[in-house]
Amino acid sequence: MSAGFAPGAPGQSPSPALTPLFVRLKLALLRNGLRRSPGRAAAYVASILVGVVCAAGATTSLVLLRGVAHVDALAVLLTGFLTLGWAVMPLFFPSGDETLDPTRLVMLPLRPRPLIVALLTASLVGIGPFVTLALATGAAVAVADGTAATVVAVCAVPLVVLVCVALARAVATASIRLLTSRRGRDLAVLGGLFVALGGQVVNIAAQKLGRPDGLSVLEPVGEVLRWVPPASAMSAVADAGRGAWGRAAVGLALTVLALVLLLWWWQRMLTTLMTSPDASTLQPVEKDGGRAAKGGARGLARLLPDGRTGAVMLRTLRYAWRDPKSKMSWATSLGVGLLVPVVYAAQGNGTVYTAFVAPALLGMQMYNQFGQDTSAFWMVAATLATPRDAYRELRARALALCLVAVPYVTLVVVGTVAFLGAWSSLVEIYGLSLALLGALVATGALTSTLFPYSIPSDGNKNIGPGQASIAWFSLFGGLLAGTVLSAPLLALTLWLHLAGHHGLLWILLPVGAVYGTAMAQVGLRIAAPVVVRRVPEILTAVRKG
Amino acid sequence: MTNGTEKSGETVAAPSKDGASEGVPAVQIRGLTKRFGTQTAVAGIDLTLPAGRFIGLVGPNGAGKTTTLSMVTGLLRPDSGEVRIGGHDVWRDPVAVKSRIGVLPEGLRLFERLSGRELLGYMGRLRGLTGTETDKRADQLLDILGLSGAQYKLVVDYSTGMRKKIGLAAALLHNPEILFLDEPFEGVDPVSAQTIRGVLERYTSSGATVIFSSHVMELVESLCDWVAVIAAGRIRADGPIAEVRGDAPSLQEAFLELVGAGHRTRAGQNLDWLGGGSR
Repeated sequence: MSAGFAPGAPGQSPSPALTPLFVRLKLALLRNGLRRSPGRAAAYVASILVGVVCAAGATTSLVLLRGVAHVDALAVLLTGFLTLGWAVMPLFFPSGDETLDPTRLVMLPLRPRPLIVALLTASLVGIGPFVTLALATGAAVAVADGTAATVVAVCAVPLVVLVCVALARAVATASIRLLTSRRGRDLAVLGGLFVALGGQVVNIAAQKLGRPDGLSVLEPVGEVLRWVPPASAMSAVADAGRGAWGRAAVGLALTVLALVLLLWWWQRMLTTLMTSPDASTLQPVEKDGGRAAKGGARGLARLLPDGRTGAVMLRTLRYAWRDPKSKMSWATSLGVGLLVPVVYAAQGNGTVYTAFVAPALLGMQMYNQFGQDTSAFWMVAATLATPRDAYRELRARALALCLVAVPYVTLVVVGTVAFLGAWSSLVEIYGLSLALLGALVATGALTSTLFPYSIPSDGNKNIGPGQASIAWFSLFGGLLAGTVLSAPLLALTLWLHLAGHHGLLWILLPVGAVYGTAMAQVGLRIAAPVVVRRVPEILTAVRKG
Repeated sequence: MTNGTEKSGETVAAPSKDGASEGVPAVQIRGLTKRFGTQTAVAGIDLTLPAGRFIGLVGPNGAGKTTTLSMVTGLLRPDSGEVRIGGHDVWRDPVAVKSRIGVLPEGLRLFERLSGRELLGYMGRLRGLTGTETDKRADQLLDILGLSGAQYKLVVDYSTGMRKKIGLAAALLHNPEILFLDEPFEGVDPVSAQTIRGVLERYTSSGATVIFSSHVMELVESLCDWVAVIAAGRIRADGPIAEVRGDAPSLQEAFLELVGAGHRTRAGQNLDWLGGGSR
């Protein structure tokens, strides 16, 4: 590739050849990527189709919304969302575009300015910029009113696309060291979670917008966003239509300024990145000191019991924080456990029973305990000789879980009850929650032992190859069994209600707590000897993939 | 296999030689087999390994070394056969066995999201050592293995050599009588290899047993006083290294003959067109 610009005399700008070269490189990478597997090609074609259909749909709806009240705010907000998407996308899909990694070009004699022009042009090739262009055009059509506005729109739409693409490139360059490091890859695993939570936010927002005159809620947000580039270019189109020339000029100027600043920032970063040594030659100054100096954490850790119990609890909690897969799983349980009651309550059709989501999801953390260890389970296996060892191992894992789950369930139950003002249900919901948590710890210990499966540590898969049926069976079977185990307490609750013994409902709390603890105990006791018997089988199951 | 001369002199000098031959063997294997689907990985192994020796388990890739070591250490269930460690059955008496052995398997992970120091602290407590004792031993092991500088770094960020060393430290922490190491020198740089070697030599000089697998014959020849050759899931020879080497000029030559690869190295005439002037 270097042959393409090597002939140029030193100091002479090779820019005439560089831009088409990069565009060809991008197309070649795309083509070769698709050639590697038909599945990938099919997925790519499908994503293009979906992208085109979505873009067409959204653009058409925007055009149809033309003239509707508050559509200005919608256009501005949409531009803001697009920009946000472009800013975070390279963080979560770092390997999506190989030309995004300028460190691959380090050995070539390239000058920053032509390089940036070439990279920016190459970035404009693809489905993402196309969809952005379609949406921006739709938004501009929706708000443009009159010739002047059309002229402004013709400037604004390309500006929006350019700012988006330049932003993505600059962010990617700024974070390239992070993204190619282990920490960065860890972060990328968590990407799905942010997407899921973001989807929930969009869901709530969409429901609000769906109400009569729903677009009016956008106004305050739009008021702020209209001055933030590149959304300011979109509001400039509307301003031009209204004849507010000053505001329109400022809006456009802000976006141009943003583009210039982004390009300058990107160029600076690119120069630094391509002229300074990377982590492979530079001894990384890790945050080792941080971990060493964590006297405080050691102090807290000292509160844990000594021996296997404390060691396993500490390891479990450390993994919940440091291992991306565990962190993802914990964060999902904690996030969704809180989100479901909040979302239902916010929509006005909440019941106190939504609080059960928290113990259900946190209890599921006890499932596939040994799969969470991956093949490192051998280290545990080497020390499991008696049922007593296995019992203490399982109990420590359950205790670590309860250390988080019990306060959290308490918080969610009290929060839900308080939000709905249903204080009379507090004790029964709380008691039932604790019983459910105990039942799931018990069934989790058993299914971990009987139906272990591996969790591949790379990629987004959470089940090892060929183990999906085991995984689903263990999860759903376990959840069903856990519910059945909690049935006696549910029956007691119903009976107390139906027989009119409302004064006795308080006993559900102590009974639930004791019942949950007892079930967990029994589950651990039954599972422990099985673990010792099945150590090699568990190891074989969890090391796949 | 006749008795050699120079190496046997060394083995006789080993302090535990007599004890080894008369006392309880470190490992006794009878009729051990393991099949994966249609493939037989271990096809009936009978082997007795004496205590107090530095023992090499050698064989080509896919010979069944890892499978054998996994079954011997209780990490893989055999299809049939019996394994005794220090006289205790691995599958019937795991309490006696697991406390006596230290293991460093190949191809299995460590708890990589712990720092080196945290990993040792965790393993020591799992092995039933007190917190203070664990910390003391961890300090010394980290120091002697040259890992003190990286003790607060996560194991996931360690190099191959560092991983082998921290794995070795975890296997030694509870001072086992017998140490099983699967390819401890694979992918390890010469400096780390020398460190590992030094620690293992110190460990065996006190009468403990090391059993390690390798396919680097020079290493086995220079380290071990007893060797077992495995190929295609069977033991081809075992005994003091001089005995296994026999009349062959080196262990490498003897090994190639034993595993039936000797003829392949002499099959050069089939490639007589290779090299030289003519095309």
